[in-house]
Amino acid sequence: MPRRLLAYVACLVMCASSARPVDAQMLTQRGFLDGSIYLFPQDAPNDSTQVMGDFLAREEVFVKPAPWVQFAGGLDLRANSHDQVEDSWRLDVSDRGAQRPRLSLRRLTATLTHGPFTLDAGKQFIRWGKADILNPTDRFAPRDFLNVVDNDFIAVTGVRGVVQHGSETLEVVWVPRFTPSRVPLLDQRWTAVPEAPSATLIDEGAVFPDGSQAGVRWSHVGDGFEYSASFFNGFNNLPNVEAFAAPIAVPSAPTCLGCPTTIAVRRTYPAIRTYGGDAAVPTKWFTIKGEAAYFTTTTPLTDEYVLYVVQLERQTGEWVIVGGYAGEAITERRSTLTFAPDRGLTRSFVARASYTIDSLRSLGFETAIRQNGDGFYGKAEYSQARGQHWRVTITAIGIAGASDDFLGQYSRNSHVKAALRYSF
Amino acid sequence: MNRGRDGRDGQDGQVGTHGRWFSFMRIGLAAIVALLTITPLRAADEARRIVDEVQKRTDVKSQRYEGLLQVFDAKGKISDKRWTVERLGAHGQSKTVLRFTMPAEVKGVALLVVNHPDRASDQWMWTPAIERDRRIALQDRSTRFFGTDFSFEDLEERDVNQYEYVLLGDDVVDGAACWKIQSTPRETKSSQYTKSIVWVRKDNYAFARFENYVKDQIARRLDYSKIENVQGIWTARQMEMTDVRRGSRTRLSLDKLEYNVALKDEDFTLQAIRRQ
Repeated sequence: MPRRLLAYVACLVMCASSARPVDAQMLTQRGFLDGSIYLFPQDAPNDSTQVMGDFLAREEVFVKPAPWVQFAGGLDLRANSHDQVEDSWRLDVSDRGAQRPRLSLRRLTATLTHGPFTLDAGKQFIRWGKADILNPTDRFAPRDFLNVVDNDFIAVTGVRGVVQHGSETLEVVWVPRFTPSRVPLLDQRWTAVPEAPSATLIDEGAVFPDGSQAGVRWSHVGDGFEYSASFFNGFNNLPNVEAFAAPIAVPSAPTCLGCPTTIAVRRTYPAIRTYGGDAAVPTKWFTIKGEAAYFTTTTPLTDEYVLYVVQLERQTGEWVIVGGYAGEAITERRSTLTFAPDRGLTRSFVARASYTIDSLRSLGFETAIRQNGDGFYGKAEYSQARGQHWRVTITAIGIAGASDDFLGQYSRNSHVKAALRYSF
Repeated sequence: MNRGRDGRDGQDGQVGTHGRWFSFMRIGLAAIVALLTITPLRAADEARRIVDEVQKRTDVKSQRYEGLLQVFDAKGKISDKRWTVERLGAHGQSKTVLRFTMPAEVKGVALLVVNHPDRASDQWMWTPAIERDRRIALQDRSTRFFGTDFSFEDLEERDVNQYEYVLLGDDVVDGAACWKIQSTPRETKSSQYTKSIVWVRKDNYAFARFENYVKDQIARRLDYSKIENVQGIWTARQMEMTDVRRGSRTRLSLDKLEYNVALKDEDFTLQAIRRQ
């Protein structure tokens, strides 16, 4: 199967590279080479690396042999100086590894259209959320959280059917195979550990659920406003974390009390159902957007809760400004250890702004401040394009707060990132 | 008698003169009022007729072109962008999909504009990098579109029925005789512009220039040039939008322009702009 896929994707890439402008209607491609350097001024208890290099090459090809069908394929090739990328050269299709794959299938989709019907089958990106800061309804959109504050989406493999009739759109999704979010590596700084760790963490891997996932979303586009309702039955792509403590086995010595211990960590993914909705209502001054989802579960030791976000959005002059509040209401607390950036970002005031200096240069700002003041995250970004292909982006990220706060626990991870991208 | 008569006549004549004078005044006043009323009405009618004719002459079932956008800032720097535009439907009810093809980093970014005869258009932008579509809210339409000097509103259709017109007179643009017309958006038409002054060429009913005003200040000027007959329709192959306040301008050159091409309604939906 991987060989066939590889051959198929290679064919797509070769076709793309030999494409002439005359074929533009039938075949298009886009891609980039992206090199980044991360500088962390502080070391972390479990990670002394302060400089990290990262490389990503991406190529996506779109073929439209007939008006009613389109194929999309994409490949990612990665390298990293800090063991965030697997060593092996296999083509990864499932995106389930702890590390990022060296070579992975980013997407491979067939899209069939007939009148108001659209069917997407294959590995694809499915976004339901409409808000900009937190998307509680985005249940088919796992992310790569190796860097918690600089994450990317991971595609899921499934079928998505859409029927659009006038102002109404009905979307049905079925995903037979679960794709998790990628969580921070245990021996790296985005897994926060105490200053003087008394235990060594060992990754015991993940237990992936076998069942399929399904969801349905209905949306209405009105005169200026829009809203939707959605239902999801499947698994949370963010894990519960099970930890098992055991003393280190020291050869030729009896087990001792007070010796450093190892803690084995295993990830499990709870079954959840979510009932969600979103709405966007323009007013004279702002667009008011809201998005919420109620998470229920049958999995023991897993909370039930509501996540919501209310935001105001405005474009004025060269500014795009979004600001709002992300909240959480726990309806059933059955606490367990989780890795949940979506919940971790709630109970916060959040804002994002961008300023277009000119057609080549822009500034971006982003912040999240916990309502109790225990955590702060801020980002400032300058980006400049040069010519038709090059872009440089400098990003500074500051994180502060208490060690028991989701944001604050990463207070040693403030950093600067410089990225150079060549798009083609 | 003469005297008497004269006297009577004089009196009568005085009364008669006054009467004629008042009558004359009444008629004159009425004529002036009528002129004042009718002239603008006629001017409005004439202006409306001209713009109607412009719209009639450019009415097509569909349209497709490839556009080269050259952005010049106040210092003269240039950035180039390319897009393809497909438009389907009659004036006032048309749908347009605009998709960037260059530079590479914005390739695939698309804008869907659904025009309505009785209100402002609906607009959605698809950004492939984040796999998201976003509705462009009405109050945000005055912002620049993707670093060009066109605002989102400038990309929607100006249907003749959404404006009131007044003919301001004759003028010359680039050596061509033009009608100069003022258009003011009707209440139902939400617009950043208070009014626009439009120049229409007399020889072929093609637009020659737009000046868009915010209050009494000119905000943007759109100049049409390289006007050619394409499939029987006089079309400007080049347009230049100047943002007067910023001092920047964007030149749009139309390539591979075709009218009445085979396009399907289903390619002008939110689902369709997600496809590349």
